Amino acid sequence: MTTRYTTATLGALLMAGMLNAQGATGTTTVSVAIAAEASLNITTGSTALTTSGTTFSNPFTGSTSLTYKIRTTKVGGSGTITLKVTSDFSPANGPSVATPPTGGDALTYTCTLAAPGTACTGSLTSSTTASTSVGTFGTDAKSTSGGNTGTINWSLTNDPLYSTGSYSATVTFTIAAL
Amino acid sequence: MPAGPTSKLFRRLRVVLFVLGILPVGAGLGSTGSTTQGLTAQINVASGLTVAASAAMTPGASKFAPFQATLPVSYWARTTPTGAGGTVTVRVTSDFAPAGGPSAASGVLTYTCGGQTYGTACSGTQTASTAAQTPLLTLPPSACTGGGGSCSAASPNTVNLNLTLTDNPAYPTGSYSAVITFTISAT
Repeated sequence: MTTRYTTATLGALLMAGMLNAQGATGTTTVSVAIAAEASLNITTGSTALTTSGTTFSNPFTGSTSLTYKIRTTKVGGSGTITLKVTSDFSPANGPSVATPPTGGDALTYTCTLAAPGTACTGSLTSSTTASTSVGTFGTDAKSTSGGNTGTINWSLTNDPLYSTGSYSATVTFTIAAL
Repeated sequence: MPAGPTSKLFRRLRVVLFVLGILPVGAGLGSTGSTTQGLTAQINVASGLTVAASAAMTPGASKFAPFQATLPVSYWARTTPTGAGGTVTVRVTSDFAPAGGPSAASGVLTYTCGGQTYGTACSGTQTASTAAQTPLLTLPPSACTGGGGSCSAASPNTVNLNLTLTDNPAYPTGSYSAVITFTISAT
């Protein structure tokens, strides 16, 4: 009787071993927090300002192109693109954003900006001390994955007081998303 | 010769001691015996895996760089010498929610495999799918886990699933979650 009982126990244990599953699963919940974000790429490597004619009647003009990506907060979000002249024209005796030789001389610009951006309105005067607007974005603004485009059309006064030569300035663009 | 009262008492006591497991069978009977018990173990294929219940994907180093996460998967397996071996596969069984954000069904969740301690990890970049299981790891025939030699040295073994999720500006801000199911099978 004792022997039979032991055999039955072994049999049960073996059956339990044979019933092991041949497959199993496990799950993971993957989460991602997507926040407001923005990036900017100036696609014009260097912008040359040129003028036509030699009578001082035409300003120096040129265009700078950019591509932006943006995502603003779904509720209550906003965004901006601004620019600032972070390095004034050099060398001296030419045009200057900060201290032009003649009052009224200016580096001005107009903007175009593809949706969802809203381009700046009218002609704005660039500054070495303050950022000025290129465009704005509203809540839940979302660009395409490849980015959307914008253009800044520059105009620099053609002042006879400028000495001939080549002059360079640096403009820094900033995009922000909230 | 009929047993006397003392002999009966002795036998009853022996039975009680046997039941209690104190006295071996036959003790005091003046005889011994032996027998054999054949034992057979049927070792079948078996497998199992564990994975963390949750994982958070982290943003890339630059703006709009893909989100990334590494998911270690621990696994055990025993396969037969004559079978096809084993596999560990991945499937997105619940797509990112809420709607409007990323969607694995659109092919934006990809992964690579690596760091395996046993078996062969998937090669190249795989696209996680909501419709089909995609490979993470394959195991050879005669696979066994732990102990070294012809088995794996480690127990459990591990393999990493390196997830990448596109950071599309078109995704509305918010938190999104998806469920990934890992399946191991052995033959």
